[in-house]
Amino acid sequence: MLTKEENSNKIYIGSKVFDVFLIVFMAVLSLVFIYPFLNVIAISLSSNRMITTGQVTFFPRELFFEGYKLLFKEQNIFRAYGNTVIIAVATMVLSLSLTSLLAYVMMVPDFVLRKFLAIFLLITMFFSGGTVPTYILIQRLGIYDTWWALILPNALSAYNVFIYRAFYKGISLEIREAARIDGAGELRILTTIYVPLSKALYATFGLMSVVGVWNSYYEALLYIKDPDRQPIQMLLRKIVFSSGTDSMNDTNLMLASGALNPLNVQYACVVATIGPILLVYPFVQKYFAQGMQIGAVKG
Amino acid sequence: MNGKKNFWKTLARQKTLCFMALLPVLMIIVFKYVPMYGILIAFKNYKAAKGIWGSPWLNPVLKNYHTFFKNVNCIQIIWNTLKIGVLTLVFTFPMPIIFAILLNELKGKIYKRIVQTISYIPHFISIVVVCSMLNGFGSTSGFFNDIRAFFGAARVDMNNGSTYFLPMYIGSAIWQGVGWGSIIYLSALSNVDVSLYDVANIDGANRWQKIKHIVFPSILPTTTIMLIMNVGNVLNSDYTKILLMQNSTNMSDLETIATFVYRQGIVEGKFSYATAVNLFVSVICFILVFGANMITRKINPENSMW
Repeated sequence: MLTKEENSNKIYIGSKVFDVFLIVFMAVLSLVFIYPFLNVIAISLSSNRMITTGQVTFFPRELFFEGYKLLFKEQNIFRAYGNTVIIAVATMVLSLSLTSLLAYVMMVPDFVLRKFLAIFLLITMFFSGGTVPTYILIQRLGIYDTWWALILPNALSAYNVFIYRAFYKGISLEIREAARIDGAGELRILTTIYVPLSKALYATFGLMSVVGVWNSYYEALLYIKDPDRQPIQMLLRKIVFSSGTDSMNDTNLMLASGALNPLNVQYACVVATIGPILLVYPFVQKYFAQGMQIGAVKG
Repeated sequence: MNGKKNFWKTLARQKTLCFMALLPVLMIIVFKYVPMYGILIAFKNYKAAKGIWGSPWLNPVLKNYHTFFKNVNCIQIIWNTLKIGVLTLVFTFPMPIIFAILLNELKGKIYKRIVQTISYIPHFISIVVVCSMLNGFGSTSGFFNDIRAFFGAARVDMNNGSTYFLPMYIGSAIWQGVGWGSIIYLSALSNVDVSLYDVANIDGANRWQKIKHIVFPSILPTTTIMLIMNVGNVLNSDYTKILLMQNSTNMSDLETIATFVYRQGIVEGKFSYATAVNLFVSVICFILVFGANMITRKINPENSMW
């Protein structure tokens, strides 16, 4: 039988051991999260010999830039970047403005259609038409093979509207009443009071929408046929998953001669695809976590 | 009668608000409700020239379902979908919870923030990038094979065939989701009353007892809601990822309902048939969510979603 003091001493030591174990464990885990990125960068910059013998881990071995040179020379990567940026910005602007309008209207306490709109949105969260009916719609609207097919269907989501509305509800209604007494119209109240007071919301959802567009490929696979209009992810998909050895370009010649490893170009494109996200990530990551919390608490 | 009149009166007074809602509502009708109406073609012989309404009904109306269930691969496709969905749920669901609890126990505020920030990064990586990485790591000279070689196993091409599909599919899902998924549990944990810990300390509780009696109960409601939502999605395997991981060597082993819908509907143009199969899954998903919620409500009404 342990005395109370001995017992608490035992708990204390056990707890300390656990703390140390946890610190080490989390360090290992962090490495697991980061290592794939380091390995991809290292391989994209290493020679074929080092890659095939499995000697590349954290750092490039026998530095080799040909993968990047070929990527920028033979692939239309700048066009793909440009396309993605245009699609992302258009989606973001449309999404923020349409969602704000609907969320604001649904926030007004005495608006008669409030209940109806809530149900109208809720239904879309549980039922959807699915792949083919949406595909038919896109064709019939005449926006097939245009960027509109990627922008418009994603502009509004019921989930976002509900979160915006919850955020607006956190703003005192008295401010709105005061503005109304001063003769401000609803649209004016939204743009001059609610939008400026919701900067955190817009930063978060604007960023999320841009990242979402940046990372999506499936809709482009469905709706975009013209290779010149493809976003960046489709270019990466083409380079990695449809290895075309038919054309006699420098890439294939170098692959045949063994000077180039297929992973050189593939991983160079991976780096080019995630580069912009990883570069801005440290500066904007607080907004992402914040957004998830807004959703968790209010949604 | 009076109420109705009032309604129109108020509506007229609030016409600015109606006008503001007009464009968003139109967008939702066009892009969400019109495709729902389009599901009708599951029971029709869809002809683009005649439109959805004008196309003739199938005879019998459920003909597409007869075709699907008579398909020799039907059982295999449904089994694949279930297997991938259930195993993914079983292995990915607990991870963010465990990670959140461990983070919560971790000492050192700054260290904790750094680990958290790093753990979110994989979430922001596109599925094409993840599959490109898997494709390279699984190749004979790749990272996964380096590990195999380290433990003395032979190097194999893991992208060849379907043997390594599930570990790679689920493993990468955990890698991508564990950090991000933990946010919601951490925010539930941050709401725990600190005095509970003080009381536990006075009572001489050890770490595990504190986790069991304070941490578990405080994240239980969040866990239940997340579980209900995930059970509903169990058949919605990540087809955008599976499509990328499929190749000529494993195609038949990895066909799921969603990839089947894509191939039949979009690639082969069998619009009605693909829609019918898709509808079949949607209905099952819907039943699953309601079922899961009903069971939860029976056990503990406070944790159910509605």
